[in-house]
Amino acid sequence: MHEEVAAYALGVLDEEEIEAFERHLETCASCQQELKELAEVPGQLDELKHQPSASEDDPPMSMSR
Amino acid sequence: MCPVLSHLDGRFESADAEAEHRIAVLYQEFGGPLLRHIRKSTGNDLQWAEDVVQETIVRAWRNSARLQWEPSLIWAWLLTVARRIVIDGRRRKSVRPHEVEPPEVDMLAVPDGADRALSAIVVADALRSLSEEHREVIEQTYLRDRTISEAAEILGIPPGTVKSRLYYGIRALRELLRDKGVAG
Repeated sequence: MHEEVAAYALGVLDEEEIEAFERHLETCASCQQELKELAEVPGQLDELKHQPSASEDDPPMSMSR
Repeated sequence: MCPVLSHLDGRFESADAEAEHRIAVLYQEFGGPLLRHIRKSTGNDLQWAEDVVQETIVRAWRNSARLQWEPSLIWAWLLTVARRIVIDGRRRKSVRPHEVEPPEVDMLAVPDGADRALSAIVVADALRSLSEEHREVIEQTYLRDRTISEAAEILGIPPGTVKSRLYYGIRALRELLRDKGVAG
């Protein structure tokens, strides 16, 4: 179950898997910690999904530490 | 950041008034940071990003038990909620073929100028330096808006293997990007 934290952070689990993982997350301190660490990786990968835009790009706000 | 719900002990005239107040507090706490973060995922489509933030806040309000968590965990959870809403949106937009298939990493153009382009190059480099197995599952899941199950079928490996490779691949990617100082 612990390894699902990455798939959960990326949003690539099925609906039932999301529900099951979130129940696990309620009580698993190590998954909570890992989720905080991995939460912004998808946003970094999104750099590859879009062409750069001319508009301003605000600095990211990190609250994870 | 102040605790999200600590000042919600007051009396409200109606359940609706309380709901409105809770949603307003969530917007105040998380709306701005979420919008900044999600804009990057919508390709700076501000209208789309605002819709995603609104839906995220409403879903958060419906899961108020989670709002007792510490703020950094609430933030991480809100990002996963927003992420899924963005992915749903991408899937709906996928009737436009050029948005379905992202370019292969090796084929990414090197755009001029913006810092954003530099970030894309750094992320592409980091992805390239992962093992083939790790890069493959990241490309076949997240970068193509596919679920674990869909990617497992395409790759011909069990879903549990995809999850496991994704876990180690994403952790490795995070380490690489942290060393290179790319912010999320």
